[in-house]
Amino acid sequence: MTAQRQASSAAQTPHLSAAELSYLYTSLSLPNNPIRPDGRSPTQFRPLAAECDILPGTNGSARIGFADGTQAIVGVKAEVEKTTLTADTLDARSLSLQSDLGPSGDGREGTEGSSAATGGHGSWVQMSIEIPGFRDDDALPVFLAEMMRESLVGSVGGKDGDGIERGMAGGLKGRLVINKRWHWRLYIDVLLLSQPLSYPLPLLSLTTHLALLSTKLPKLKSQGEEDPFFDDDWAVAEYLYPRASAGLKFNPSQQVRPPVTLLVISVGENVIFDPNREEIAVADAVLAISVTRDTESQGLKLLTIRTIDPPSRLTQPGVPNSENVNMLGATAPGESVAVLNPATGEEEIPGVWRPRRGGVKRSVIAGMVKTVLKKGGVGEEVLAGLEGVQVG
Amino acid sequence: MPLDTSTTYPLTRLRLDGRRWNELRLLQAQISTNPASSGSSYLSMGNTSIMCSVHGPAEGRRGDAAGSSGAVVEVDVNVAGFAGVDRRRRGGGGDKTSSRIAVILRSTFQSHLHTYLYPHSTISIHVSVLSSDGSVLAAAINACTLALVDAGIPMPGLLCGCTAGMSGSASTPKDPRHDELDPLLDLSLPEEQELPLMTIGTTTVVPGGEHNMDDDEEETTVALMTMDSKLHSTYTETMLAVGIDGCNQIRELLEDVIKGSNRG
Repeated sequence: MTAQRQASSAAQTPHLSAAELSYLYTSLSLPNNPIRPDGRSPTQFRPLAAECDILPGTNGSARIGFADGTQAIVGVKAEVEKTTLTADTLDARSLSLQSDLGPSGDGREGTEGSSAATGGHGSWVQMSIEIPGFRDDDALPVFLAEMMRESLVGSVGGKDGDGIERGMAGGLKGRLVINKRWHWRLYIDVLLLSQPLSYPLPLLSLTTHLALLSTKLPKLKSQGEEDPFFDDDWAVAEYLYPRASAGLKFNPSQQVRPPVTLLVISVGENVIFDPNREEIAVADAVLAISVTRDTESQGLKLLTIRTIDPPSRLTQPGVPNSENVNMLGATAPGESVAVLNPATGEEEIPGVWRPRRGGVKRSVIAGMVKTVLKKGGVGEEVLAGLEGVQVG
Repeated sequence: MPLDTSTTYPLTRLRLDGRRWNELRLLQAQISTNPASSGSSYLSMGNTSIMCSVHGPAEGRRGDAAGSSGAVVEVDVNVAGFAGVDRRRRGGGGDKTSSRIAVILRSTFQSHLHTYLYPHSTISIHVSVLSSDGSVLAAAINACTLALVDAGIPMPGLLCGCTAGMSGSASTPKDPRHDELDPLLDLSLPEEQELPLMTIGTTTVVPGGEHNMDDDEEETTVALMTMDSKLHSTYTETMLAVGIDGCNQIRELLEDVIKGSNRG
């Protein structure tokens, strides 16, 4: 238990010997076609089962279970809250000229509060993650929650070519605005139901995405600057992220969607998606890449890239035969010659594990981003897959 | 609240959700929901839904002097932030209700299971309350029983939990001539908040001997009874009887779930 609590890097390292690590590294870093321990292709995800709208008491909910038994449940709750005017919003009032949310109420309040009132505020989205064996304020849950929240509130939707609003101007933050004095506060609670067998980020991010897709807010009956008053018929509630329907002209690939965060590792020159625990243990670099649909072009856009402390630097190094006292005289001279590893630029003896020092080449990062973003790439595949889960 | 049980019930004899006094809510359950644990279950009684997973019996943590004679049961209850009507603000650590449920579950199952078969080991039960709409403790007991059955941990019989209440405050002695109060079975959250409530857990002891298995008359023992509210003592017997009857109904449902999962 104590070992788990200290795990602040990518995951608790599995107990692998230096020889095993070296074997894994070599097979994963084979040029162009890495061999993964479970036989997947580099961009293939683990099979998963997903369902949404499972909890009637929430605004939106989802469950995803991986085949290895790790499961997560996400519940989204929304509350109406009065918008407070902070110094922050006062400073930024010059930015509020684009205020186009209907008639302004009384003049004074209209100018002071309008920047927060039209643009929304990032703190209106709260996220908490519960992982068994971890406290709420442990490093891992807090870090994961903040990583997912920042890409969520950071994604901002645009307008289409004709300048018609898509109902989602200002992204999620803008959608939470009811009027100048009231807004929604969104609580996203993530529940990991089992011990994290691998770094739980992809699981949590996919589940959160699904839960947000299924989130509905009651239909607003009041107008303009009145105190909000909602339709009590849940059947007419509106999706937080508007869904494709026959009445709307634009195609689904242009709609604003919550971001997904993908976990990508690099081993040598290879880029590997959805790594399991053993694969993370030998990674040169672990990156969390958040993408979402770009409403202006048809494709995807990159929101954030975060590096995650790779656990491979904490592993024990292997000892080459030439330096091993027990093997003295048993090795032919020149058998173990250090070779320059092209990925890290360090001298290494083939077959002998050396802990990774971190660091990754620009071309590898560029390769990762390209694989995620390109048309028909991993990002689109994941988003399309999640869209396919029946909602409602 | 415009509709409350104590004013409308005497007129209609129907409860807030349209049930009669002796009706259970819809109970649905599944076992083996999580392949990563030894045993797991999902149970919903009305809008209360609970997931439970069991790990073990496994070697306990070192330094645990206890458990040398039998397994130690550990229970961890986690009420999700989105479980209630309003989103609950979480403080660090657990809160009072969940730790209370955990203590009751631990002491109940510690004495119920055949723990002497597993010395020096730990059985850890993890309960997640996904949505709470009354009778959380009773639902947690049922979910734990299913998960423990799934984990294959021996026990004398299924331990089933149910709640019983009265349709009024019941603070005065029972009047046998015009008794207006009905006992209620399986209370939901609005009822739980205004009416006296008792949680009862019963188990059946599988009788020894060869022919006893054919008997319909199984011996039922009350394994757990807990009540927080104030009630005149003359009503306890009625509530207890209704609660035990509810437990028997639940036992049949749980047995169906267990047998059904074998087939599929």
